[in-house]
Amino acid sequence: MNRIIVLVIAAGLVVTILSEWAPAGIEGSKHDLSNKAWSGGETCGACHSPHSAVPPKAAPLWNANADLTRTFGSAIGKTAQPGSSTRMCVRCHDGTVARDTVTGVIKARFINKQHPGLFSAGHGRTDHPVGVKYPQFDKGFRAETSVLAGGEVQLPNGRVECISCHDPHNQSGNPFMLVMSNARSALCLKCHRK
Amino acid sequence: MMRRQDRSLMDEPRWMSAGVKRWSLGLCVVSWVALVMGISPAMADDSVVNSKHDLSARGPGPIRAIHETEVCIFCHAPHNAAPQTPLWNRENPRLYYRIYQSSTLDARVDQPSGTSKMCLSCHDGSMALGNVLSRPQSQPIVMTSRTIPPGATDLTNDLSDDHPIGFRYDRVLSNRDRQIRPPEVVSRKLPLGPHGLMQCTTCHDPHNNELGNFLREPEQMSILCISCHDMKGWQHSSHALSSKRTTGRTVDPRERLKFHTVADNGCLNCHKIHSAPHRERLLRFNREENNCLNCHSGAVASFNIASEIGKRSGHDPRFRSGIHDPTERPFNMRRHVECVDCHNPHAARGNPIGRVQGTLGQLVRGENLHVSGVTINGLEIQDARYTYEVCFKCHADGVARPRVRTRRQVSQTNVRLEFQQSNPSFHPVAGPRRNPDVVSLIAPLRVGSVIGCIDCHNSDNSRFAGGSGANGPHGSIFAPLLVRNYDRDDFTMESSQAYSLCYGCHSRDSILNDESFSLHRFHIVDQRATCATCHDAHGIFRGQGNATNHGSLINFDLSIVQPANAPTGRRIEYRDTGRFSGSCTLTCHGQVHINFPYGSGSAPKTKLSGRSLFRGARR
Repeated sequence: MNRIIVLVIAAGLVVTILSEWAPAGIEGSKHDLSNKAWSGGETCGACHSPHSAVPPKAAPLWNANADLTRTFGSAIGKTAQPGSSTRMCVRCHDGTVARDTVTGVIKARFINKQHPGLFSAGHGRTDHPVGVKYPQFDKGFRAETSVLAGGEVQLPNGRVECISCHDPHNQSGNPFMLVMSNARSALCLKCHRK
Repeated sequence: MMRRQDRSLMDEPRWMSAGVKRWSLGLCVVSWVALVMGISPAMADDSVVNSKHDLSARGPGPIRAIHETEVCIFCHAPHNAAPQTPLWNRENPRLYYRIYQSSTLDARVDQPSGTSKMCLSCHDGSMALGNVLSRPQSQPIVMTSRTIPPGATDLTNDLSDDHPIGFRYDRVLSNRDRQIRPPEVVSRKLPLGPHGLMQCTTCHDPHNNELGNFLREPEQMSILCISCHDMKGWQHSSHALSSKRTTGRTVDPRERLKFHTVADNGCLNCHKIHSAPHRERLLRFNREENNCLNCHSGAVASFNIASEIGKRSGHDPRFRSGIHDPTERPFNMRRHVECVDCHNPHAARGNPIGRVQGTLGQLVRGENLHVSGVTINGLEIQDARYTYEVCFKCHADGVARPRVRTRRQVSQTNVRLEFQQSNPSFHPVAGPRRNPDVVSLIAPLRVGSVIGCIDCHNSDNSRFAGGSGANGPHGSIFAPLLVRNYDRDDFTMESSQAYSLCYGCHSRDSILNDESFSLHRFHIVDQRATCATCHDAHGIFRGQGNATNHGSLINFDLSIVQPANAPTGRRIEYRDTGRFSGSCTLTCHGQVHINFPYGSGSAPKTKLSGRSLFRGARR
């Protein structure tokens, strides 16, 4: 009898793990663009190139065609210009910037549906702000150290960027390529003290 | 031996030692639970997670999602949210709301806006809870309940029974309404919305349910309410300080108040902030008096007022409902009486001293503090200084003032005029009277003392009258609301009981020994006339009589006293001819008095006709 209980619990454990499990890694994910004709069968080429990458060189070998100099509108208040990683994301997820380098057809789900091209980094708009300094001393937010403690969430240069929440390489295989599971809104509450 | 060991190895509970088994079982359970809980960081009470606003599938409340595990997503979305500040994930309701209205409201209340609309997107009960912008409309989050179910949290689109929101809380408002604190002194914990608008989020923090009801300040002792509301006299009032338990309330014994004592409940004793049965002023009961009688019926408050007001003669607030309004003018209000006509529940205090006879006995004390009134000169004032000023609201110039049942020589229903200090005679209510002829007064009363309305008009059971009930003119078995018996029927047999009201202040011995009017005993003992036959207790207005004809409160009761055919015509007349002397022309009990004189040194000018009457008869 006890063994049955143990087996049932163990089975439940396995089921629970499996239900939360999805194929991890960029291969097979939505960011795996190797099946597109323009990609030449390369998975990484859409973003990275091994040679003649654009400055800043310290960045992870961004594709030479990327335009990382663009400034963004609607940067209000505390919102600064986003970092290079965010600019790289918005190349595609914006609908206008350098989209030809990816595809001529707009198929991605753009950040600002109503106004493609106007990436609104400011607060009070339809998207979570990026490029903002992490509000370390705001009562409504947790301490920066506790945010970074788990290692999942990154704050490049102390700013909130796309890669704070999203992992473009889909290493953990979470839905929406999140850096960690958002069950019980754990990812949101990593920063927000609500 | 070997066989036994083999069997033991094969036997199902013995494939590992009992201790290890129990341990591994525990580990499995713990690890599974941890996984199910999403290995979330430990959530404190002040988090939205595990609060009632946690609508995720693992939320604690009865209203939650079937599958969705995210907590924030019901209100906020990281992308594609509504263009409203906190990445709002819901559409705003497009309802028209019935807004709060009150005759005492100084703020201009608009349709709800801003964050309040966001709250109402669930709490008006009109929109589906799972309908979020981050999902296609055809695939909303499946919830245990499609909309918020009817009940306390469903405010409906009728916001007239809820505390007003959407008005500007600024200095203009606090200047106009002195019982509202200036916004700059209100606690920082209660934030106003943009443009200084009061919103739901001023009192509620949707993410923090530490204090219950997602409030930002505690409800206990009304700390939340009095952050903004500065009711005159509240700090020292009984309702703010009483530690009496609120069990045994009569009107709603089953409804649970949040706390157990009157002081802890504070405003909540009478007010309901949401879905109040009496919309205007958010009262707990629709009938005004029930808000008071709920506690003042014997169980909670010290005195049972409900038993007083039901007496033969009383200020019974249960007769009329929905008439009283705090903004009413005494001069033109419709006839009614409510507890709050004489008492200010925000300021009322107990009165341990009770009533003291004599000078200054009529000053407003605890129970009538901060009640409006009408002065002896007919001016409306916000805070009555004397108790009679409270009475004058209804019994003076108002068009709905009570009638007087006794028909007298001169009749006056305006009590304010009857007590003017310039009157030929009056009881000293609005001020002292310097008439040395009143020799019957019982100490501590003396010539120059001031009495109050409630020296005569009081509950027969009051402590003032020697009983155990509440002081004050709530109700009495003696009409018209008299503290003691006062017979006015003709041919009443004189006794200390019959006129015990008068004898309370005027010594019976003095009266019956004819110390002032030399024929008192003859009239009231022998002839069984009553005090009220000749005297009009309140006073005679100077515009209706002079000191000669209406001194000593003389104003004959026309149902007993008839005119006499005097040489100068058929008339009733009293003439004051000096100290303790005068003459009467009238017919009473069949006896015709023509200029009948009394008093020291006066000789009868005209004899009484009919039965011979003379002073010696009484001795």
